[in-house]
Amino acid sequence: MKKPIIAIAGLTACSGCQLTLLNCEEELPEIAQRFIIDYFPLGLTERLITGPIDVAIVEGAVSTPSDLEILMKLRNSCRCLVALGTCALWGGIAAMKNQESRKDLAGTVYGSAADELKTFNPQPLHRFVKIDFAITGCPPEKGELLATLAALLRGTFPVFPRYPVCSECRSRENLCLLIERNEMCLGPLIQAGCNARCPAVGIRCEGCRGPVTEANVAAEMELFLKKGFPRDEIVSRMQRFYPEWNYEQRS
Amino acid sequence: MNSVLEISPLTRVEGHGCINVLFAGTKVEKVSLSLYESPRFFEALLKGKSYSEVPEIICRICSLCSTVHRICSLLAIEKALDLRVSEQARLYRELILYGGHIQSHALHLFCLVLPDCFDVAGLSGLADKAPQELKRWLQIKAAGNLIQETVGGRTIHPVTLIPGGMGKPVNREGLLKLKESLQRVLPETRQAYELFRSFLPNGDKLATPRYVSVRPEGAAPFLGDSLTMGNGETIPVDSYKNLLREQMAGTGNAKTILVKDEPATVGALARLNLGMPLTPMAATAFEESRMLLTNADIRANNLAQAVELILAVERSLEIVDILLKADFTREEPAGIVPKKSRGSAAVEAPRGVLIHSYSFDGRGICRGADIVTPTVINQAAMERDLLALATHMEGADDEELTDALERLVRAYDPCISCAVHVLRI
Repeated sequence: MKKPIIAIAGLTACSGCQLTLLNCEEELPEIAQRFIIDYFPLGLTERLITGPIDVAIVEGAVSTPSDLEILMKLRNSCRCLVALGTCALWGGIAAMKNQESRKDLAGTVYGSAADELKTFNPQPLHRFVKIDFAITGCPPEKGELLATLAALLRGTFPVFPRYPVCSECRSRENLCLLIERNEMCLGPLIQAGCNARCPAVGIRCEGCRGPVTEANVAAEMELFLKKGFPRDEIVSRMQRFYPEWNYEQRS
Repeated sequence: MNSVLEISPLTRVEGHGCINVLFAGTKVEKVSLSLYESPRFFEALLKGKSYSEVPEIICRICSLCSTVHRICSLLAIEKALDLRVSEQARLYRELILYGGHIQSHALHLFCLVLPDCFDVAGLSGLADKAPQELKRWLQIKAAGNLIQETVGGRTIHPVTLIPGGMGKPVNREGLLKLKESLQRVLPETRQAYELFRSFLPNGDKLATPRYVSVRPEGAAPFLGDSLTMGNGETIPVDSYKNLLREQMAGTGNAKTILVKDEPATVGALARLNLGMPLTPMAATAFEESRMLLTNADIRANNLAQAVELILAVERSLEIVDILLKADFTREEPAGIVPKKSRGSAAVEAPRGVLIHSYSFDGRGICRGADIVTPTVINQAAMERDLLALATHMEGADDEELTDALERLVRAYDPCISCAVHVLRI
């Protein structure tokens, strides 16, 4: 079989999604041999995107003209585009204050030098190009990334769970942090696939995988309010990885 | 006639950067290093957030160093709020810190630098040319990640580390698994050190760096409350701004820092030169390479990182043994009463001195944050050395020069994601 040609690029992000790939220590040598890696600045001395590429895997949100340029180049030279991680799919951590003025945020960090920065609100990839597949998570789960690569070798994409973190958490029989400990756990609203990592070690779900389809956001909001959390604190927590929740949504 | 050699993007480094070499005829006139990672404004993101959210947000600054950012953040918060954590939490934090160093150094040495040693473009080339070595050394990286996964609950952006304490401790089975994996890779770290010792660069010596590090206290080599420059001069972390002077760089989105008007160098080489406490096998390795490492220029940094790999694995084993013997049970984190306060902490990140500094209002809401990262501290020295090297190499063709300059940048092991988030002056 012909080896698939892949490109891996990072836009506005922490490199954690690309690191997830490099953290597959066991599988990495085989991946390097079963794919042709055409463009991967983090791991390869190749500066040009020449194409044609079978699959481009892109980490990060789009927040600068140069991000957009790389994204367009990749989209124009690849057959399939995979959004890797929460920033690429939902906007992610850097987008949490997208409602505030970008100029003011820049000013807080860079003072008067901020005027020279060429940057706009971090946006997910689908605002600019068509994406063919997505792997969520901050960081993504190694298993989901490997399942995707394995499926690509067979010319397809895998199917990931479409239920909330709560389902996985219950089946692990963890103590419910929301009901029994009154913590602001986002498990009911968030896409599963992490096997409820955080609640399993006693830490509330921070929502790093983004909304599950048909999340009952309004009911969770009511529950939090009833438990006495102030609305602004709830909103601040929920927006950490995704700034565009519809708080009225009832699945 | 003027011409420019543009190396963009820099490859096999974390983040986005580029080098421009400006020639007047054949003479090198200027070398600029731009770190143009998209700014994410982390300090602005933290403003208005509760102290309990701060570590969870700030660790996203960078994946390679997420653990150390999280720990530095906890230490600064706990200093501000006068919290003391238990012996158990302290030991687990130290252990995961080594996990982070092992993963980061191993990633840099075996995935980003090793292709240079074997003269290949990247991992695929390594997998063809040195498949056995690559497999063995990736096991070292895996051992670091196993620590992060087991102790932190997740390999990147660990979740169990919280202000005042920690989530669930690791059970006996988990600790024994860690011990086994660390024992297995310890001899490999020695082999890797020998390999990097054989790849030391020749050529003209670059400037002797002005090393800066956290002054270690006790047996933990990466933790302390003051910064040192080696000549007996130390300065408490709280006054870091008196030592590290920030200025916005001419190009790119990061700021540069000078120490006493001079570029400073932080990282593994600086730590070894400033007398970090070593474990037995690491001490032997350092002793053998003393001539190569003492007052050496930055090109010896990769060898220094290899020495630290030995150190981090040995010291992790010591801590795992202490934890096994102590047989701790789960504790509740310390109770926290927010108050108007301010706190700064420093930790040695894999790439060098990392400082977090926060101020909180009476409700524990973050009102100001300052993050100083090692790559920002190193940037001025990086530019100085790039200029010196390019000048030495006048007349070389573009490919040769590109290759040499990129290798020099890799010796510094920059982490550009972190670098662009520095604070208001």
